[in-house]
Amino acid sequence: MKELVLSLIADGGVLAGVPYAVAAPLVMLGFGAVVVFGFVLPIAGITSWLERRVWARIQSRVGPNRVGPQGFLQWLADGLKNLLKEDIIPSAADRWLFSLAPYLVVAGFIATFAAIPFAAPLIIADLNIGILYITAVTGIVVVGVLMAGWASNNKWSLLGGIRSAAQIISYEIPAGLSVFPVVLLTGTLSMQGIIQAQGWAPWDWFLFHNPFTFVAFFLFFVAALAEGNRTPFDIPEAESELVAGFCTEYSGMRYLLFFLEEWGNLYVIGAIVTTLFLGGWQVPAFTENLLVLTLVQFGVFFLKAYFFVFLAMWIRATLPRVRVDQLMTLCWKYMVPIAIVNMLGTAVWMIVVSEALGRLVQIAMTIAGAAIVVLFFRRVRFHLRRARLQPADYYYSPII
Amino acid sequence: MSLGGFDVQVVRESGFATEEMTLNMGPQHPSTHGVLRFVVRADGEVMTEAVPDVGYLHRSIEKIAEKVGYHGFMPYTDRVDYVAAMPCNQGWAMVCEKLAGLEVPRRAEFCRVIATEFNRIASHLLAVGSMGMDIGAYTPFTHALREREYINDLLEELCGARLTFNYVRIGGVGWDLPPDFERKGLAYIERFEPLIDEYNSLISFNKIYKERLAGVAVISAADAINYNLTGPNLRASGVKFDVRRDLPYSIYPELDFDVPVGTGEAGVVGDCFDRYMLRIREMQESCKILRQCLRQVPPGSVLGKVPRKFKPPVGDAYVRLESARGDMGWYCVSDGTEYPYRVKIRTGSFTATSIIEKVSRGLMIADLIAVIASLDLVAPEIDR
Amino acid sequence: MAGYLGNIKETVTSIFEGMSVTFSHFVRRPYTVQYPDRIPIPIQDTLPFRYRGILEVDLEICTGCLACERACPIDCIVIEAVKDKQTKAMVLNRFDIDIAKCMYCGLCSEPCPTGSIHHTSQFEGADYSLESMLRRFVKAPVVAYKPKKGPETDPVVGPLLDRGLRYLDDFAKPGGASEASEPDEAGAT
Repeated sequence: MKELVLSLIADGGVLAGVPYAVAAPLVMLGFGAVVVFGFVLPIAGITSWLERRVWARIQSRVGPNRVGPQGFLQWLADGLKNLLKEDIIPSAADRWLFSLAPYLVVAGFIATFAAIPFAAPLIIADLNIGILYITAVTGIVVVGVLMAGWASNNKWSLLGGIRSAAQIISYEIPAGLSVFPVVLLTGTLSMQGIIQAQGWAPWDWFLFHNPFTFVAFFLFFVAALAEGNRTPFDIPEAESELVAGFCTEYSGMRYLLFFLEEWGNLYVIGAIVTTLFLGGWQVPAFTENLLVLTLVQFGVFFLKAYFFVFLAMWIRATLPRVRVDQLMTLCWKYMVPIAIVNMLGTAVWMIVVSEALGRLVQIAMTIAGAAIVVLFFRRVRFHLRRARLQPADYYYSPII
Repeated sequence: MSLGGFDVQVVRESGFATEEMTLNMGPQHPSTHGVLRFVVRADGEVMTEAVPDVGYLHRSIEKIAEKVGYHGFMPYTDRVDYVAAMPCNQGWAMVCEKLAGLEVPRRAEFCRVIATEFNRIASHLLAVGSMGMDIGAYTPFTHALREREYINDLLEELCGARLTFNYVRIGGVGWDLPPDFERKGLAYIERFEPLIDEYNSLISFNKIYKERLAGVAVISAADAINYNLTGPNLRASGVKFDVRRDLPYSIYPELDFDVPVGTGEAGVVGDCFDRYMLRIREMQESCKILRQCLRQVPPGSVLGKVPRKFKPPVGDAYVRLESARGDMGWYCVSDGTEYPYRVKIRTGSFTATSIIEKVSRGLMIADLIAVIASLDLVAPEIDR
Repeated sequence: MAGYLGNIKETVTSIFEGMSVTFSHFVRRPYTVQYPDRIPIPIQDTLPFRYRGILEVDLEICTGCLACERACPIDCIVIEAVKDKQTKAMVLNRFDIDIAKCMYCGLCSEPCPTGSIHHTSQFEGADYSLESMLRRFVKAPVVAYKPKKGPETDPVVGPLLDRGLRYLDDFAKPGGASEASEPDEAGAT
């Protein structure tokens, strides 16, 4: 980023003559605007459409398929509808807090995109505290949710807000602790640094580096789901208990902003998990052409991150909700001890295990991971066989 | 204990003031299974009292019977419990037949049992599906409803309607089995039974689901009998009582089926998980019954001779039958005219509502939802 | 400790199992019928003959016996039939069915002697005004039908009567032989 700004303010560049202190924020804002309006918001919207389609196929139904080809413009229609809705603020609600809450929530989520890498040169700000910044700035979401719950002047919303605060604050800890093994292995908090410490091949990913990081991956993913208020931890917005939890009293665009944050956060989770455990945008250097390489890196990163979005949707369709006290038990009695063990284990691993043995373990873990995937598909085939379906019951195309 | 709220007491302990909150789980709620209202007194998440408020769906059905007469009341019995309407139809027909001392043709009895057992499966599917949805799993609900749609299609071929059947008539049934019904019914049972196993793999044996339900709202056998619980709620607490087995009616004595009982497999006998698993097991038993019935339907007529102006002799009759929600009682007093003098319907959901208040002390609000769903309350049955 | 590890193991295996079931649904055909436009034949033609949709009256074969009005438990049928003094024939002045009140129970079509009042397979009755819910079948006073001793020969009335009697045949007959296997019932409209 710095080189880009310097090249722009040099003689002959677009912003020639502009002092660095002014040009740098301007360029960053420009990139930020492009990323937010061109990538983040469409992705959040498209995720909503995809979620509905994925859910529907899992539930033996179709999902939106009328608005645009295969219902692809459904999210635009929803957004437009919500913009045109009446903005109701309950008379006894705290007006300013009520109005401010959705903006805080969305701000907390969009701010993470400043440090998310899309490809090798494509990152708005390669902070040397990258992952720490992201973890910290997602904490603003808690404040927003609590404000929404309190300012609604509704006991159900209050319950939802308090539950959410407890949930997010608790699950910050296993999430943070699960980042530590990776940070120990790389020695840096910078996102690009973490990616560069991995390789493009699965056995070079941190996921298969040692058993402790393997477990840390699952812990981090679960903790990140809990932070994003996704099932099985969607207690704050538990539809069947609290109507809509902390966002009950909201209508129109304010309501949609909460859900925009939820869907967009899925992508953030996917991006962070990809960065930390799956090797990020690493591809084998197959061409000298920087543009093509960057595009391929962007595509690889996007696909990996979006796989986790899909995984989150799939999990949401499958699992029931945990109760609040079970949520706390899970966090403090199960995840935190295991996360601490992971951290210590990785530290010990780094000291004790030699290079060659480590390489062997990496290959062995990759094979184990592949074996789990094969086992999974065999189980899927078992279920299909047991259901004794007729040939007419099978339908493979996503287009319907 | 008051439906308008509670007097809130502020408790001061060591300088920290706390008070209990009064929550209204109002008539409009995504998961109170109809229009039910609960006034909940809670200390944060943990409830101290949950008082049910019923009556939002009261339609004076029992009074309407006095106006429309015996034949005309049959469609109204559908609406007493629209989720499992066939047993309600059958109950009214049985009480009128008992009043007048009528015999029902054998083929009609088979038709009634087939329709009732299909409806029992449909009702249990809805119960377990919406229980899954209340706990937070959205997929099992749609799968259960998909299977229920097949049953709806079958019953639509049988009697022309999908929910409010009006199938049974006094003295028999309204329509004979359409051609090919036995084959289609058996094909459906073949299709359905492996899907129960798949449903179990998906949700019943899921650890999170079991954790939510095991040990929650344990109802002991003594409590269940004292509070008049019936049907799956009673059997889940360990009491082996089924009206089809113990006070048999219709052709149930000739059929071979088990009566499953709650065994506390995930926690304690009589908890929510037992009630849930019992409904799954009852669906499997209904499949057994249906197989036997569909294979041996005797030929004959399906309707006895009943006058259009049905005037049973003066007297009263009480009939008990096993609906999807348990022991349903139908009581009718006749004064010799063609309009009944008094009809009283006793439903399983009404008494199940009464135990919620006892069982919900100390539970969390999320558990209240699980309890309501596991008792399989349907508001129309509570209020009639 | 054993319980602790057992819990973790059970959680992981049951979630694995559940997710394999849901993944298997990606290759299964959705159950949805994409009504009304993406289906091969109109929905009304797929419904069984006994389907209790919106009521309809074939006035050509209505005998004016008022059996349906008496049988209706919710009083949604209003008929005005007067015996004309000169011709000694029943004249129907009014036959209104309020489909908003009707509960589609079928008790009116059972006692009809000719099957003129019957349920159709129509179920799309939603409209913008409450007045349209009251279906008036008599536009001008019409003479009621008098069933003939022999077969009906009128080309207009004949098919209607055939259909009506076939509809009535579906109902259970008190006493007598069973109607279990009429080969022409299956799929007929």
